[in-house]
Amino acid sequence: MSSGDVAGGSAQDRDREQLLAETFVVLADTLVDDYDVVDLLHQLVDACVNLLGVTAAGLLLDDQRGNLAVVASSNEETRLLEVLQLQSDAGPCLDCVRSGVPVSVDDLEADQNRWPVFAAAAMSAGFRSVAAVPLRLRSETIGALNMFHGAPHPVPLNDRRLAQALADVATIGILQRRSTHRSAMMAEQLQHALNSRVVIEQAKGVLAERNGVDMDTAFNALRRYARNHNRKLSELAMEVVRGEIDPSSVQTERRVT
Amino acid sequence: MDDSGPEHDSVPRRICQLSVHMLSISGAGISMVTKTGNRGVVCATDDVSARIEDLQFTLGEGPCVDAAQFGAPVMVPDLRTPDDIVVDRWPAFLEGAGAAGVRAVFAFPLRIGAINVGVLDAYRSVPGPLRDGQLRAALLAADAAALALLDIDPTGDLFSDNADARSTYQLQVHQATGIVQVQLEIPTEEAFLMLRARAFALGRPLVDVATDVVARRLRFSVEDQ
Repeated sequence: MSSGDVAGGSAQDRDREQLLAETFVVLADTLVDDYDVVDLLHQLVDACVNLLGVTAAGLLLDDQRGNLAVVASSNEETRLLEVLQLQSDAGPCLDCVRSGVPVSVDDLEADQNRWPVFAAAAMSAGFRSVAAVPLRLRSETIGALNMFHGAPHPVPLNDRRLAQALADVATIGILQRRSTHRSAMMAEQLQHALNSRVVIEQAKGVLAERNGVDMDTAFNALRRYARNHNRKLSELAMEVVRGEIDPSSVQTERRVT
Repeated sequence: MDDSGPEHDSVPRRICQLSVHMLSISGAGISMVTKTGNRGVVCATDDVSARIEDLQFTLGEGPCVDAAQFGAPVMVPDLRTPDDIVVDRWPAFLEGAGAAGVRAVFAFPLRIGAINVGVLDAYRSVPGPLRDGQLRAALLAADAAALALLDIDPTGDLFSDNADARSTYQLQVHQATGIVQVQLEIPTEEAFLMLRARAFALGRPLVDVATDVVARRLRFSVEDQ
């Protein structure tokens, strides 16, 4: 360990350590309970943005059909989704999933030839650097955690370790989650997570249109309602899509502090 | 099963036949979930497949029932050494399927988020898991079957991931489905069909039309329909 790795004395370092501890306590609490996978993955990308100070983060899973599918993103902007989704064809996440090792580019402008389409889209969305760490279980890579920075940004060693730790929690969260009927296999768990995300997208569409709000607002309302009522996000989303719950009651939910 | 079904189930039948060929399985069948929650066998490649489907409808238990309910594949590579939870959940199915000579069962939900159209069931008379390539083929077959049951002809090679098939996985498409569902006050599956029909009519990729709907550049109204 280099001297730079020693937990520092600055106030900023202490704040971050505090945040880090809180994050892992929350995650550990989630994992021992009956949790919603997509909700957990969103907590992880949010933690990634807060802890690592990146501009945006997303989580992609191998959909086992030859594509990478987005299951969580730190914001709902279409531009970010497009940059994430582009990587089914080429990009750091695809390379990361195929190789099983982290992939990063400190400055996309200086390194545009590696993935020309991805680099152009990422830069036009306001990103200058990108990093991807694998979601790995033994020899299998099931996806990647993708981080973006608005400025050229070499990722410090400590941050890389932390990103990998968050990715490992995501892997455990996806694969350890016991389905209600039987100890399940990897494919069953992955497909469940992917379909849950689709239900949530459909519910966001319903809420956004019914309540006249944007996708971010709709999603935050959905999460808040699920949390306040101790409901699983994907089950709540299913009820919204099927019209079994009034969309306006989801939107007016107050934040509990 | 005879081949003289109505025209619309010829695609599901072809999907089942291709699945048998590609997955090294003994037989496959597709069952449908109707809006009223009833279910029916759409097609089966052989008598044992038909029997597996019938058994589950009669008993109300089995991998196909669980796959439909939980929205995830259910795979049992060896019915003689299933895990305890399976034994607890499907005691009668295990007995009936075993008597019919079934050793491995794989059930794939035909689902697009909240849209639940049915299940693709595959069985094998010898035990063993699906290999990676076979799993991929099975998932693509289930995707194609879901579209076929929604009355969308998945044209071209059913097992190639063409651009349109891929756009089904883009999140904007599902957001737009929810929006259109509200704009037209129709069920989710119909909203998904409307979106695809509009993309087809405009000659544009589904994901582009969906992005316009999400960005509020395109609205569906009852008068247009």
